[in-house]
Amino acid sequence: MQLRPIFALVLIALAGTAAARDEGPRPRREKITLPFTADPYPSTYRPLPGTDTVITGATLFDGKGGRLDDASIRLRDGKIVAVGPASNVTLPPGVTVIDAHGRYVTPGIIDIHSHDGTYVAPLTSTDAKTGDVTEESDPNTANVWVEHAVQPQDPSFSRALAAGVTTIQVLPGSGNLFGGRSVILKPVSAVTVQAMKFPGAPVGLKMACGDNPKNAGKFPTSRMGEVAGMREAFIKADAYRTKWEHAARDGKEPPERDLKLDTLAGVLRGEIRVHIHCYRSADLAVMLDLAGEFGYRVAAFHHAAEAYKVADLLRARGTCAAVWSDWWGWKMEANDAIRAGAALLEAAGVCVTMHSDSPILGQRLNLEAAKAMAAGRRAGIDIAPERAMRWLSSNPAKAMGLDDRIGTLEAGKNADVVIWSGDPFSVYSKADQVYIDGALVFDRNDPRRQPTPDFEVGQPAREALQ
Amino acid sequence: MRTVFAVVLTCVFAGLAQAADKPVAIVGATAYPLTESAAKIDNATIVLRDGRVESVQAGGAVPEDAERIDAKGAIVTPGLVSAATQLGTVEMLSAEETVDRQVKTGPLGAAFDVQYALNPNSVLLRHARADGVTRALSFPAGTGNAPFAGQAALLRLGDGPDLLDRAKAAMFVQAGGAYAKEAGGSRSAQWILLRSALDEAKQYRTYPRPGPARDQLLNHLDADALQPVLEGKMPLAVMAQRESDIREAVKLGEAYGLHVVVIGGAEAWRAADLLAARNVPVIVDPTANLPMSFDEIGARPDNAALLQRAGVRIAFYVPGNTLMLSYNVGSAMREAAGLAVANGLPYVEALRALTRNPATIWGQQERYGTLAPGREADLVVWDGDPLEPGSAPLQVFVQGKRVNLATRQDALRDRYRARPDAVLPPGYR
Repeated sequence: MQLRPIFALVLIALAGTAAARDEGPRPRREKITLPFTADPYPSTYRPLPGTDTVITGATLFDGKGGRLDDASIRLRDGKIVAVGPASNVTLPPGVTVIDAHGRYVTPGIIDIHSHDGTYVAPLTSTDAKTGDVTEESDPNTANVWVEHAVQPQDPSFSRALAAGVTTIQVLPGSGNLFGGRSVILKPVSAVTVQAMKFPGAPVGLKMACGDNPKNAGKFPTSRMGEVAGMREAFIKADAYRTKWEHAARDGKEPPERDLKLDTLAGVLRGEIRVHIHCYRSADLAVMLDLAGEFGYRVAAFHHAAEAYKVADLLRARGTCAAVWSDWWGWKMEANDAIRAGAALLEAAGVCVTMHSDSPILGQRLNLEAAKAMAAGRRAGIDIAPERAMRWLSSNPAKAMGLDDRIGTLEAGKNADVVIWSGDPFSVYSKADQVYIDGALVFDRNDPRRQPTPDFEVGQPAREALQ
Repeated sequence: MRTVFAVVLTCVFAGLAQAADKPVAIVGATAYPLTESAAKIDNATIVLRDGRVESVQAGGAVPEDAERIDAKGAIVTPGLVSAATQLGTVEMLSAEETVDRQVKTGPLGAAFDVQYALNPNSVLLRHARADGVTRALSFPAGTGNAPFAGQAALLRLGDGPDLLDRAKAAMFVQAGGAYAKEAGGSRSAQWILLRSALDEAKQYRTYPRPGPARDQLLNHLDADALQPVLEGKMPLAVMAQRESDIREAVKLGEAYGLHVVVIGGAEAWRAADLLAARNVPVIVDPTANLPMSFDEIGARPDNAALLQRAGVRIAFYVPGNTLMLSYNVGSAMREAAGLAVANGLPYVEALRALTRNPATIWGQQERYGTLAPGREADLVVWDGDPLEPGSAPLQVFVQGKRVNLATRQDALRDRYRARPDAVLPPGYR
């Protein structure tokens, strides 16, 4: 059913919480609320019950690049309320005190690029035929929302949580130019995706350049075709947006809703953040000029293998680079990825984030950072671990437009906190306790605080041996 | 003029060759010889002579004729032996003309052998070596004659063209859900075909070609190739994850008197006692903790620790969606070993699983895998704990020769690092 326009606009005004907040280009015209980022599938997430908690004595990496030894941090009502030297944080009666001497405390890890819930475990032959990662029917599927495909009981979510991951952006695949809308989730135990949705998180659009989107169907078959397809789509979206804005301004009947154009118009209005799968330096530069042509910003390039070759360009445009430490070589556009890439980008002042693309790698983004950091050190670029922590926390938060809520350990931020058994960049360390919004959602030492996915219940192959 | 130049060059190369043959003494290191008598030696002096380990002794003397390498604070281990890779047969997975790891059609099954495809100039080899790998088994990925994948080769990652260390090091077969399609659609068919092939290969010995007319599935190439397997000279490597397939592999080994090795073994912990009793090694992936298929429902991160505790010989491999079999062989296996330790495997056992165990599994325990005197001198001097992903080799020796650790990635890094005063573009660097 098509909602009557006026009614739709009212609905949007009520629900409109997700307007772009920061850096994105301001709408050139007067501020008019349009339905492009309305959310008819709203979050029903509620934090688990938490207690007033002080974690004390730990070495703390604050996610902003700072380090504090013998630190204390207090979590209350879902927020961080105090961070400082242990001597400065008071221990009121009734507060739960966690002794973390000899351990490390960091912000919860943020994975900006995941397919958890769509690239599911187990991945059966059914998924191989028609999976839920990519809607493959058209080079432009800006109309699809990946949240409509997410299996919340994918075991990958509970594994990520146990590895200290507290925020995950699930993106559609890279088989088309416009893959669709992303969704930002908390890897909490749930049976609906709405119950995992990060409330009020900005909307993202997945785009893809290079080798992948030219292999699917009749169009495009080349990089030139890809860019032409993107430009044509944005030209249409620009006209669509103008019609909507004029109609709203003049109190007239708006154009018929078009889901693809909704998303792209949202991009042009700076309300939807753009995440582009893109490897080669030449492709990165073309994508940045495309953004310039149509007046939007690119939040982040993902798998940006050759970002280090155009570091200055990325810094100038304020675009983040989401990289692996050392996936390289399996295709031509990945051939020049280097292990020191993140370090070179960091040294050049670019916002760097690690990312996974894989439910296995997504459990070890800390080790990805460790490898990149060490490769930098060997190249004479010394990056302290507390600075590299930004690659897993505040930098992805910034790229996702959530840096006002997560990514650092500061008073007022959401209490997404990990206590590590040791140095978070060591292979031997584990997430001992994981807090999301101040609630203890994982405890390595307490089986009652370890969510088990439904698939793994009652499986003889998982039973302990007699 | 040209002649003089050539003579000078020859002298330079002769000098280099001589220098390489000079004995080497690595002094002051924390060494892990990983032998029965010495797992670890502090303040070790390690002497390499004529391509072999001469001695490893705490505070040992430096021979007068040896080049001294100060390794105080460094860790020395045997060179890493990657138990299962596709090095040498893969350059760029997306470009099939650069990939020789499998045959999809044609008559070759057990007879397929990767040895003739090995490329010593592959940039992937340098990369693996810069992460401490000195030997590796390169195994075939499949054939048109299921369940056979074919014969693996051992590689030696020294400098120069001699990549092949030992051909025909193992026969690989594939069992389980992911491969059942090639055998007709049921894993039962895989086992029937395999048993039938072994039976025919056995008969083939007593009915040499041209034999009496008979109903035969196996061609003469494959029948020939299976002889060393039946004689127990060539291990039969069974790629299997599910408990039932692992137990079938053990049964098959019993029935035919084979040396069986399990590759993958996600659910091997469930058969740990049986595997230990039958002396069947398992090459496991410590990063596998998700039920990515119905064959891996029992996957758990302490698989390696449980197997080792039960007395099973283990080594590591990390397929990483098959990417890590080629591209990050060294870093992936070290990280995997570290994860196994984080999940209960004793540290020294993890080092053994990276060196001595794979050498033993593939029959090379008398040649390399430890720093016992007389072994081929493959070793790595590390800048830190080799199981930490941030550590890296300072020096790598293969058969006593120090090898070049520069990779193509290093060259790219140095090209593109910031140089504010550069006038010409990076292409001139």
